[in-house]
Amino acid sequence: MGTTLLAVITAILFFTIIFLVAKANEMSSLGKDADEHMEDTSNLQGKLLFAFLILGMAAVAYSFFELGPRMLPLSASEHGDLIDSMFNITNVVAMFVFVLTHIILLTFAYMYRYKRNRKAYFFPHDSRLELIWTIVPAIVLTFLVFRGIKAWNEIFDFEKLENTTEVLRFEATAKQFGWILRYPGKDGEFGERIIDQEHVSQINELGINWEDPNSKDDFMANELVLIKGKLTLAKLGAQDVLHGFYLPHFRVKMDCLPGLPTQFMFTPKYTTEEYKEILSHKKYWQKIDPETGNPKWQDFQFELACTELCGKSHFAMQRVVRVVTQEEYDAWVNESKSYYYTVINPDAAPAEEDVIEEVIPINEEIDSAALSIVARVR
Amino acid sequence: MSEITANHDSAHAADGHDDHHEQSWLTTYIFSQDHKMIGKQFLMTGIFWAFVGGLLSLFFRMQLAWPNETFPILETLLGSWAEGGKLSNDFYYALVTMHGTILVFFVLTAGLSGTFSNFLIPLQIGARDMASPFMNMLSYWFFFAASAVLFISFFVQTGPASGGWTAYPPLNGIRDIALNKGSGLGFDLWITSMTLFIVGSTLGSLNYVSTVINMRTKGMSFTKMPLLTWALTFTAILGILAFPALLAAAGLLEFDRLLGTSFFLNNIVINGDLQAYKGGSPLIYQHLFWFLGHPEVYIIIFPAFGIVSEVLSVHSKKPVFGYRAMILSLGSILVIGFFVWAHHMFVTGMSPAIGKVFVIFTLLIAIPSAVKVFNWITTLWRGNIRFTVPMMFAIGFVSLFISGGITGLHLGNSTVDIQLHDSYFVVGHFHIVMGVAAFFGMWAGVYQWFPKMFGRFMNETMGYIHFWGSLIGGYMVFFPMHFMAGVPRRYYAFDQFQSFNNFQDVNVFITLAAFLVMSSNIVFLINFFYSIFKGREMTEDNLNPWGANTLEWTTPVNPGHGNWPGDLPVVYRWPYDYSTNGNEINPQNKPLEEGEHEH
Repeated sequence: MGTTLLAVITAILFFTIIFLVAKANEMSSLGKDADEHMEDTSNLQGKLLFAFLILGMAAVAYSFFELGPRMLPLSASEHGDLIDSMFNITNVVAMFVFVLTHIILLTFAYMYRYKRNRKAYFFPHDSRLELIWTIVPAIVLTFLVFRGIKAWNEIFDFEKLENTTEVLRFEATAKQFGWILRYPGKDGEFGERIIDQEHVSQINELGINWEDPNSKDDFMANELVLIKGKLTLAKLGAQDVLHGFYLPHFRVKMDCLPGLPTQFMFTPKYTTEEYKEILSHKKYWQKIDPETGNPKWQDFQFELACTELCGKSHFAMQRVVRVVTQEEYDAWVNESKSYYYTVINPDAAPAEEDVIEEVIPINEEIDSAALSIVARVR
Repeated sequence: MSEITANHDSAHAADGHDDHHEQSWLTTYIFSQDHKMIGKQFLMTGIFWAFVGGLLSLFFRMQLAWPNETFPILETLLGSWAEGGKLSNDFYYALVTMHGTILVFFVLTAGLSGTFSNFLIPLQIGARDMASPFMNMLSYWFFFAASAVLFISFFVQTGPASGGWTAYPPLNGIRDIALNKGSGLGFDLWITSMTLFIVGSTLGSLNYVSTVINMRTKGMSFTKMPLLTWALTFTAILGILAFPALLAAAGLLEFDRLLGTSFFLNNIVINGDLQAYKGGSPLIYQHLFWFLGHPEVYIIIFPAFGIVSEVLSVHSKKPVFGYRAMILSLGSILVIGFFVWAHHMFVTGMSPAIGKVFVIFTLLIAIPSAVKVFNWITTLWRGNIRFTVPMMFAIGFVSLFISGGITGLHLGNSTVDIQLHDSYFVVGHFHIVMGVAAFFGMWAGVYQWFPKMFGRFMNETMGYIHFWGSLIGGYMVFFPMHFMAGVPRRYYAFDQFQSFNNFQDVNVFITLAAFLVMSSNIVFLINFFYSIFKGREMTEDNLNPWGANTLEWTTPVNPGHGNWPGDLPVVYRWPYDYSTNGNEINPQNKPLEEGEHEH
């Protein structure tokens, strides 16, 4: 309480001083000739605006130097490079306009500050000038639109799926506050989902139709596992409210909606290990993490996050993303346990013992409801 | 209607020609039908909300800067919302939601266009009052009721709305506090408040447009109207066309919440329990919302455009450059502004093919915006610039509008938006371009017309302190956010993610800068309220202190209800005859000299 009181008193003192100085200034200016006063203040403020230009530009340059390297992580997907190059081109255009217009604006302000014998120049319009600054932006914008739409077409060219023999498909269904990550299993086909009272239940939130033979080997994963160089289709949805599927390193972002499936297609460029190797050459990542004692890059991991406000724990919907080679992926799929045979119908499990002991908790604490049912089945 | 007409007539008859019409305290200060008083009421309410909204942002900025610290003062102020001096995540989202709602609607819509449309339209076009003074009064009281309801929602046990100012369903579409605390009674009040707000805003807008069309004084043709009046008229048209979409969305949303309809809901599964909603689409809500939501940013920025055009011209003693191009660009922004809404939805599940159309329109709208900027800059060229406080804010506005607008090139391009959508880059962009910039327009207007409103001047020194603190502080808050282009917005804390936790130093810096902005605005508040009562007085021999051409400066120091004691002024020339005919100023009501041509 003592510090609060002190802060309040300091603040009151601070504002009182400003007030008193300001009133004193007003009093002293009243004695002056109006023109002279205007000349003085305009001179001061004009110079301050010019100083603002110089110092502001220096601050902008410094911020690029200091924060620029942190702006975006290195792109880890193929289409990510398209996005980044479009981003960089736009940055160049934007910075050029930003710097140029600010130099002109604030230099004019400084140059034409009030002088009692200066005459303003009556200059109401000039069609030629106005035409120039309509057409030049139009040309630049056409270029940006054209390039942007070209990249956009490529990113959402779903025909690629048909022309590619092997596509990794996974299904991410968001809910408060976690992700249900479903893989199609060894057969590569998802079991059908039917959203009705009969199919949707606490242990079958997705409403998977267990009659569908494709459903039997579908499994739920704790982390998102992707294959380097393989075209990947994320099939997205949500259970309760809107969520956003966001893989910052892969430049993947798409909302997840209940009752309205969405999708996003991408190809990872590096395995997690390769990406770590790249990071190990970067200054920021060479720093020692005080918690682990290791250089930061050693503990690096790709992540999945939510980008659509979904409730109080929106900020905590994290999952680890791992990019591996095809062999490692196949081995992982082999190890993964079918959801059907571990949770829904363990008795029917083909000749494996104690599967329940190794059940993968599909959603940690969030799925405690489902897990408690698993426990009861046990 | 007959009652309204009667009222309107009586306002003219009673107040037109003499000022000795008796008004009680209640009808002068509270239920006033004088457009000037109503304008001031909007301004006062707007300032109140700006202070509240700003304070809320300081609370959540403290959480972002020091997520692991506790501040006993927070518990003192917020009680159970900040137990142990740490903001709860529930209340963090309520603060963010209310901050957005308050600033967008209550401050920058009602406080900005409400204040200046009411105060200035009749004065600038030479009318005694609005077309319907009664409806005008009603528009303020609807706004007041909306304010009261929203304010009350802070004191609901489950807290105010907390599902974002965009109020997307299903988070806000299901009345279940287990889903989201603020989606209970708090959100009902939010919807009630928005409904009242829209009614008030529409009443006001209809009135502004009717007034401008019908009540211009003799000689005030459309091409002689000041750009500010043009801008305010376009603002009103935008409001009339756009707000009903939000009203519809809010209504349907409340049906979903209370009556179990499924306009925006489909296949909702909560904890493995399939809900009965079937067949709706959350995307339809988003379309309806942004059909208002995007024109809304022009509703916010147009009055600032107008104010800045006026102020730049008056204080550099030059005609605003390209008067017709300025009107034309406003008009094209108004039209194109209705075809860009879905650029808020590039990655929300809308078809990528539709996205392309919106990329084209969105970048197209940058052309008239660029024209405006270049025209403002050219207005300064070879002027004789008096750096009064309103002029400083107008120049600050141009700077901010460039800085914030230019990043629209990134966000309007759907490809880049994949990465930037819902990131801090967006937060930086829109706060500069329609937050700080619009505020600068509003402040420029307040400093410029304060003498007209209260017959006194604000203190200059405090004005400059306010300006520099806000300009430097504003940039320090929002410029660094652009570098957080990969960091999602609306995160209570970043400790769950390795990818996002490397900006702690920046977050501290931003929060400190936010305190700087708040401090400079406390200086403004002190100046504003002190000057109303004790500021330097405006005298009858200096009725036109800035040397402006427009009609509002031809009224007495304290214009009564009816504005001009004698006949209405007659207009002979456009408002920008500065530094011509050998005179620095040539007021609009000064007849053309022999051989002089109209501009």
